[in-house]
Amino acid sequence: MRLSAEEAFRLYGDRLFAIAFSVCRNRADADDVVQDTFLKYHTQNRDFESPEHIKAWLIRVAVNRAKDLTTSFWRKNKVTWEEYMGEAVFEDPADSRIFEAVMNLPKKYRIVIHLYYYEEYSVREIAHILRCRDGTVKSQLSRGRVLLKNMLREEWNDDE
Amino acid sequence: MTNKEKYQRAFSVLHASDDCVKEINDMKKTKRVYIPKLAAVCAIVVLVLGLASITYAADIGGIQRNIQIWFRGDQTDAVLEVQDGSYTLTYEDEDGNIREQSGGGVAYDMFGRERALTEEEIIEHLDSPEVEFREDGSVWVYYHSQTLEITDQFDEDGVCYVQLKDGDEVLYMTVTEDSYSMSSHGYLAP
Repeated sequence: MRLSAEEAFRLYGDRLFAIAFSVCRNRADADDVVQDTFLKYHTQNRDFESPEHIKAWLIRVAVNRAKDLTTSFWRKNKVTWEEYMGEAVFEDPADSRIFEAVMNLPKKYRIVIHLYYYEEYSVREIAHILRCRDGTVKSQLSRGRVLLKNMLREEWNDDE
Repeated sequence: MTNKEKYQRAFSVLHASDDCVKEINDMKKTKRVYIPKLAAVCAIVVLVLGLASITYAADIGGIQRNIQIWFRGDQTDAVLEVQDGSYTLTYEDEDGNIREQSGGGVAYDMFGRERALTEEEIIEHLDSPEVEFREDGSVWVYYHSQTLEITDQFDEDGVCYVQLKDGDEVLYMTVTEDSYSMSSHGYLAP
């Protein structure tokens, strides 16, 4: 099956922006990642098994593209995530603390934490998207949770 | 509230910009070729270089030489020892650990007779591109000072074609999901 780039963007654009932002930690790069990802989706013209397959493919492309940008030599001055936070309207003050805590995690933990808590993927699904082993995802998730708990204390439950 | 609910509410503030919407709409009107910033075209990745390769620092006597090699994008000093077509390379990695790499091989002359590789042939081998298949599933190409991730450049058959340009020289690499080959004449079949 195949969705138009416009339809795919309508369904998954904001999700891709969120995962890209969690990797790049600035709006400009996250926007570039989203644009590059949908341009690639549009030009590759491949078939997919289901909407979930499309979403997983888009996320994988976006994560890899975001990692490329964060390791590239060429970086402009960009609006940082702290400045972005200053402009964002959070529903609750605790939300901004969670956002800040996640942004302060090491990149590899941010990615799996985001895919688990925001996209609600299982460990196995995350490992498939990131092309790594289940054990790697489990340990990164575990360490990320410990760091979040240390930063957020009572605001982060002990539940999974 | 569960952690998932808290997380999702916190990150619900993130939205792609209106420029993205415009860009997506423009895609319908114009035909474009996807060329991401690291110089990849469809499933063929092109890497253009312009720097020198291995340089000799000093002949320290006997069968050992001090050379400079490229290791994962960084240039480092190394001691190369060659004997009868086999070599041992000693160098310091990015963490400061002393590492030793050994290898060797044979070549065949026009009559089919086997002979040991020469020092120049060994150095040429050490100077060639390297592909790293990392535990996290990502795939990287290293050639001199350049580092390129090709994880998502594999086509539907699991093959990525990489073209390395260094001045007038061109190397063609064929990378599958667990091995690679290269030639200066064209892409080898996977």
